[in-house]
Amino acid sequence: MATKSISAEFTKGFWDENPVFRQLLGMCPTLAVTTAVINGIAMGLATSFVLIFSSLVVSSIKKIIPSQVRIASYIVIIATFVTMADRFLAAFFPPISKNLGPYVPLIVVNCIILGRQEAFSSKNSIGRSLIDALGMSCGFILALLLLSSIRELLGSGGILGHQILGSWFKPWIIMILPAGAFLTLGLLLGLALFIESKTKPGR
Amino acid sequence: MELLAIFISAILINNFVLHYFLGICPFLGVSKKIDSAVSMGLAVTFVMTITAVVSWIINHWILIPKKLEYLQIVSFILVIASLVQLVEMFIRKASPPLYQALGIYLPLITTNCAIMGLALLAVLKEYKFLETVIFGFGSGIGFTLAIVLMAGIREQLELADVPEPLKGAGISLIVAGIMALAFTGFSGMIK
Amino acid sequence: MNLSARMIIVLTSVGLISGSFLTGVDLLTRSRIEANRQREIKDAITRVVPGTETSNIVYEEKSFTIYEGKDKSGQRAGFALYTSGTGFQDKITLMIGTDESFSTLNRLFILEQKETPGLGAKITEWDEFLRFWENRDCSQSLSLRNPPADSPDDLSYSEVNTITGATISSEAVLDIVNFSIEKAKTLHKEGKI
Repeated sequence: MATKSISAEFTKGFWDENPVFRQLLGMCPTLAVTTAVINGIAMGLATSFVLIFSSLVVSSIKKIIPSQVRIASYIVIIATFVTMADRFLAAFFPPISKNLGPYVPLIVVNCIILGRQEAFSSKNSIGRSLIDALGMSCGFILALLLLSSIRELLGSGGILGHQILGSWFKPWIIMILPAGAFLTLGLLLGLALFIESKTKPGR
Repeated sequence: MELLAIFISAILINNFVLHYFLGICPFLGVSKKIDSAVSMGLAVTFVMTITAVVSWIINHWILIPKKLEYLQIVSFILVIASLVQLVEMFIRKASPPLYQALGIYLPLITTNCAIMGLALLAVLKEYKFLETVIFGFGSGIGFTLAIVLMAGIREQLELADVPEPLKGAGISLIVAGIMALAFTGFSGMIK
Repeated sequence: MNLSARMIIVLTSVGLISGSFLTGVDLLTRSRIEANRQREIKDAITRVVPGTETSNIVYEEKSFTIYEGKDKSGQRAGFALYTSGTGFQDKITLMIGTDESFSTLNRLFILEQKETPGLGAKITEWDEFLRFWENRDCSQSLSLRNPPADSPDDLSYSEVNTITGATISSEAVLDIVNFSIEKAKTLHKEGKI
């Protein structure tokens, strides 16, 4: 496998291999929790925690795991970190834990995490896996931030509870409803492809 | 009456795909043709109903009596993964025609968040045994309804002139958005 | 070492390590999570039964609990009914505060709801909804005023307001309240409280 520079390994998750916009992974939480920026941030951080620690563990024990049982072992490792994140949120940030509801435990089936273990951590060194996980996490948080900012701004006229648009603005309730999530993400995906086709001609 | 309410609500009001956003991957991936969408829907309904039964038993007979609720996530995901394998092996032996129809979809279900979501939501909603089973079955039907409707629309979209960047996932999500909007019309049907 | 033995050993040890890790996490967080839940209930009781210092459960069944609120001197300040029902989208969980005979509704507090943001979700807001529920006469079933009144003073004592554009959510809350108070009255008559 061609070795990328460390910085390329880190930044590829931002755009070229952005888990949400380019790989279409982890759509469930992306759509479900982005009604408000604070939920998006919490979800992004929880997922990053699980991704980073799972990558660390998987890349450090990759040699002892027989390939026949690797998926089962990865799932147990991921589920362990997900449970930790879930309990931590419930203990120290009860309101956020309530807002996110079942979507924190559902990080366990977020394809981004298992996908990175299978595609990257099981084949690369600890350091590289860590960089990869950090980059992917940033890309995921970025996507959640973008989506939740648009939805909260148009859906309530403010961001993080601070009113930004004036009183002339009538909130678009649809943006907070499930329909708004689908429409916003659909248009953003279109926009991402449009930018891609303009900046990289010949593809 | 209570059971009927849970059933209808799982299909129309709190539809797994359009309300909870669960099972988006197969919803976008396997919705190009009506036939395959129907098969996928049936496979999911089947696995969901069994998952509902098994996860309830594990939760109420093992985890809760032993105060091990914190092992819910680990045990559910392992059970679902092995369950799907078992179901696959069983169908292959018992009914080759059914295996022909559902076979290739079953492995895809393991990583389907709808199944895990079902097990977790049933716990969260504190359903009793029969309610959990109805909830699982209804959610599967709801998933089938959404994915088949989507496939029907996408078959027509093949002929439409969609702007280049929106082709594929983009337009599918927008269609899903319009469907979700239509489904909000069912809210408040059961009160 | 042959392969299957290795597979079993690896899977077992991964399982054991994960299990013991989680047991540790559970020990660290369990009491806090339980305390959070208790505090939420206690806050809600204090809100709906003014003057409550301590409270205790006097009746309990699945998703229906009656708390007795006591003031500083240990006198009964009123009852708080923890109950839930189906709303427009999903379950609504609320706390109802009444006097000792379940004939006056002091206040209402919504603990959990998933109603439409901006419409039905207004059931959690004091100005829009909850202030119309203060000091209602609930010796008979309460009823909804639709179209809504501008101020609580315009309503009769057994009436509550509807939220414009969210009639179903308002009706859902009304039904839960009427049903729960009726149930509490029956339990009271039977001497179970």
